[in-house]
Amino acid sequence: MTQLAGARAGVPLIDGIDKVTGRARYTADLDHRGALVGRILRSPCSHAQILRLDVERARRLPGVVAILTGEDCRVPYGVLPIAMNEYPLARGKVRYRGEPVAAVAAIDAETAALALSLIELEVHELPAYYEADQARAADAVRIHDDKPGNLEREVHHSFGDVAAGFATADLVRETVIDCAEVNHAQIEPHAALAEFDPSTGRLTMQSVSQVTFYLHMMLARCLEMDESRIRVIKPFVGGGFGARVEVLNFELVTAMLARTAGGKVAMELTREETFITHRARPQTRIRMKLGLGRDGRLRACECEVVQRGGAYAGYGVITILYAGSLLHGLYDLPAVRYDGYRVYANLPPCGAMRGHGSVDTRHAFELLLDRMARELGLDPFEVRRRNLLHAPTRTLNELAINSYGLAECLDRVEAASGWRTRRGRLPRGKGLGMACSHYVSGAAKPIHWTGEPHAVVNVKVDWDGSVTAFTGAADIGQGSSTMVAIAVAETLGLPIEQVRVIAADSATTPKDNGAYSSRITFMVGNAAIDAARRLRTLLTEAAARRLERDPADIDCTDGRFRSLSAADQGISFTDAVKAALVDQGTLTVKGTFTCPPEAQGGKHRGGAVGSTMGFSYAAQVVEVSVDEDTGRVSVDRVWVALDCGFAINPLAVRGQIEGAVWMGMGQALMEETRYLNGMPAHASLLEYRMPTSLDSPPIDAMIVESIDPNGPFGAKEASEGALASFAPALAAAIADAIGVDLDVLPATPDRVLDAVIARRRRERLDALAGGRR
Amino acid sequence: MTAPLPLPRLRLIRPTTVEAAIAARADCPQHEFLAGGTDLLVNMRRGLLAPPALIDITGIAELGEMRTTGDRTRIGALVPLARLAEDPVIADRHAALQAAAASIAAPGHRRLGTVGGNLCLQTRCIYFNQSAWWRAANGACLKSGGEVCHVAPEGTRCHAAFSGDLAPALIALDADIEVARPGGRRRVACADLYHEEGRAHLRLAADEIVTAIEVPATATRSGYLKERVRRSFDFPLAGVAIACRIEGERLSALRIGVTGTNSRPLLIDGTDALLGHRVDESLLTAAEKLVAKQVRPMRTTLFPSNHRRSIAAALTRRLLGTLAAPETAAVRGPSTEGP
Repeated sequence: MTQLAGARAGVPLIDGIDKVTGRARYTADLDHRGALVGRILRSPCSHAQILRLDVERARRLPGVVAILTGEDCRVPYGVLPIAMNEYPLARGKVRYRGEPVAAVAAIDAETAALALSLIELEVHELPAYYEADQARAADAVRIHDDKPGNLEREVHHSFGDVAAGFATADLVRETVIDCAEVNHAQIEPHAALAEFDPSTGRLTMQSVSQVTFYLHMMLARCLEMDESRIRVIKPFVGGGFGARVEVLNFELVTAMLARTAGGKVAMELTREETFITHRARPQTRIRMKLGLGRDGRLRACECEVVQRGGAYAGYGVITILYAGSLLHGLYDLPAVRYDGYRVYANLPPCGAMRGHGSVDTRHAFELLLDRMARELGLDPFEVRRRNLLHAPTRTLNELAINSYGLAECLDRVEAASGWRTRRGRLPRGKGLGMACSHYVSGAAKPIHWTGEPHAVVNVKVDWDGSVTAFTGAADIGQGSSTMVAIAVAETLGLPIEQVRVIAADSATTPKDNGAYSSRITFMVGNAAIDAARRLRTLLTEAAARRLERDPADIDCTDGRFRSLSAADQGISFTDAVKAALVDQGTLTVKGTFTCPPEAQGGKHRGGAVGSTMGFSYAAQVVEVSVDEDTGRVSVDRVWVALDCGFAINPLAVRGQIEGAVWMGMGQALMEETRYLNGMPAHASLLEYRMPTSLDSPPIDAMIVESIDPNGPFGAKEASEGALASFAPALAAAIADAIGVDLDVLPATPDRVLDAVIARRRRERLDALAGGRR
Repeated sequence: MTAPLPLPRLRLIRPTTVEAAIAARADCPQHEFLAGGTDLLVNMRRGLLAPPALIDITGIAELGEMRTTGDRTRIGALVPLARLAEDPVIADRHAALQAAAASIAAPGHRRLGTVGGNLCLQTRCIYFNQSAWWRAANGACLKSGGEVCHVAPEGTRCHAAFSGDLAPALIALDADIEVARPGGRRRVACADLYHEEGRAHLRLAADEIVTAIEVPATATRSGYLKERVRRSFDFPLAGVAIACRIEGERLSALRIGVTGTNSRPLLIDGTDALLGHRVDESLLTAAEKLVAKQVRPMRTTLFPSNHRRSIAAALTRRLLGTLAAPETAAVRGPSTEGP
């Protein structure tokens, strides 16, 4: 053990220096010499039939090289094979304000802008729906012809005897919670650079993608090209959070422009366009009903979720399934009924966002559980403790739980926050709240089922003793390449500096499904270890030959291969490599990882969603101050513990926990996308308010290691699990501070003040009623 | 369309005297004065205005001076906001002004932004401060050359809100603004620099420029409080400045300035009626009501207008209560960054 033994701080990300020194090149920093400038014309209407789209004046403008409309887009796309209902440029109809309708490539930005202004669009406007209930109204016009009621997908799942559960509960409560739509707001705006070589018919695509394999596949599909003629490279990426886990319209448009122009096209979206591209967490209404015993045991859960999904399918089916399936897996629930409705609306399409599908329902669940515990006079920690799972187990909906560190997470944050001595004893206006959450370590069943392993890593070793790991996994800032380097170095007994990682270039790296659902550490990590072990076996055999000993007698640590029985007998790693290369030359070994079928969820429709090899678990305590005159909520401190199985890189794990808490805080306090008649009114970093450093509290991040039996070194995911518990812990803290129960997110000053005013009115009425008695 | 346009080609005029600056403006009223650029350049990049030339006034030495005399503080229009926020003399003599300067936007803006620029800050509206594509798709508003105000379609005026932080403080402190025009200078009380009209909120002729402010050093306690969602960057939901004097436990002078709620910074009327009284609950309630009645927030932000009214009233009560407390001489808002 080199990096992983003993007390460890962790290592800085291997690409960190490049980033902080500005050497790192993001898509917009790439070599744009000779590139045409691509621009997109966007729909001014929310819902309309396109009567005429005339590009002739634009086409005649000197300097315009390529121009495309929906007529040039014959093939629809979408991340789910069952729901491909979107075209790179709108065909026939536009369904949201900002939808791409035409695109140009021109010699410079001014010419491209002028060309767009010369395009004539004539439409017949249709009724537009900006709220889920308007879209679901009986007389609503269909946004997609094949979707009556504008319902993209409904889900009805029931496990256990829900009615009996409520019948035996001592307290049954129901509440309706509204969560605003939010956006990833990753710091790098969208960009792509595509180059088509007419002489070879080859396309090279560089983009901000989290899923280069999906991009590769979708480019081949929409451009009707042979996959082998396409190369996809991921440069440095400035954040994803789910914004880029599906192929986005501008990526396809850039490639199509490049092919039409027969050259290179650079597309850089503005912040506004990046917001409009969206694919984030939908506006969600949750009706949550829980049954609780006086003993604190959960008896039953009934949950209805309505998600306003925007104009196209995207990941919508998965999101609405996740919202139900991840009701399970955190606590021991004897009965759960779930009804989910994913609704189309004339707004930018929603998609996956950190904590995909789980965050808003978890908020409603934890919030209601907290209120009910209060009503029964139970401590919020005790209620959780009485409903813990015991690994290994399977949930009602057939999710496998192989490791479970929630109990320790609870103990850690309870102690660190001083809960027992401080809760209930803070001055008015200050409060403490807590909540729990969990998340998957990768979807056990991939969206595009091929029968291939879930992850492949190649490791090459050459005459110079250097080790290079090749992975298709997209490092988007989460540190996946560093994780691969550690996994390989650790397995080979080398310092991390001796391992290079080449990632996400389809010409050199093996296919990988990409950076989503927190799959990389678990799947790619295991594949990296597998590859490194195979290499270690080859090198051990070579060392044994050189030392004339039995391979079983050879150990590999600290950069040397040594005889276990004769301590003075050993050769360096490089000499072992040279020995291994004799007869064979440069060695490349392959490691793989596959999730076994029993991890892939239940047989019910949609049962694969939520299935995973391992869940991370989190508990957190949030301390707030609330100003009852202005409605301002200040987060004073956060204590959070995450069970990530094993922290392969504690430094990175802490960073991810802090990031998850911070992102949860943004959604809970202030982040919100707002539309005025379908116009995005939030589409800047001024109006879309992410917390500043002054709004950010100290975060005490604690790591709990439950050592998952299947995880790489025992590890599970570390990036998403801590997000969903922030908002309910905040709401509980606000209730503790000022006696106000908020049914909405985010807790902006106006909403908090409204709730304070409502509470005062209630108190006055109660006093009057009391006076009359 | 939303393409990221570079700044349009433009001419830069760099006068070294005030006279040359206003002469350049008189030549072409579409030219804009450029100092810190934190408001102007952002608006230009969004296509909100396209002046044929910028008159860069940063080379006019006179405008960068700050001077304290016995009874007045004179602050040149080019003095950076950060300098105002960090100056101990300002903090000592004009606490409201220091607190207001320290609360503006974020540190980077305060280093670049100037006193004159903050006084002449463009009014803002959620229907106006958007991209060209947005405004075209939504239909132009009064402020962007259209026929209708999307905030109040029945009305005839633009409701874009003023959100500068210095003006309410200067109004409370009874400061004068010095304006240069061809042939001389004029002075105007700070509140009188503004109109209640979002399209043209500054009472400045095309060939006039703000050159300095003069703040009287009277023995008043003063402070500024503002509320915004984030503790940095955000424009105020509402901001309240108060200057008052307490003599023998009774209020002997009171001026209240408010920003963020109207198309201009407001001097609250009727405060004289509160003089001669102790600052107790009923007086604080009366002050709060004065403000709540006079502010006119409209739906120019994503926040409900009644909330902004409540905030202005609550800040008034809090600030006046704090200023009247015997130990207080200056107040810095809870939501402001320290200098």
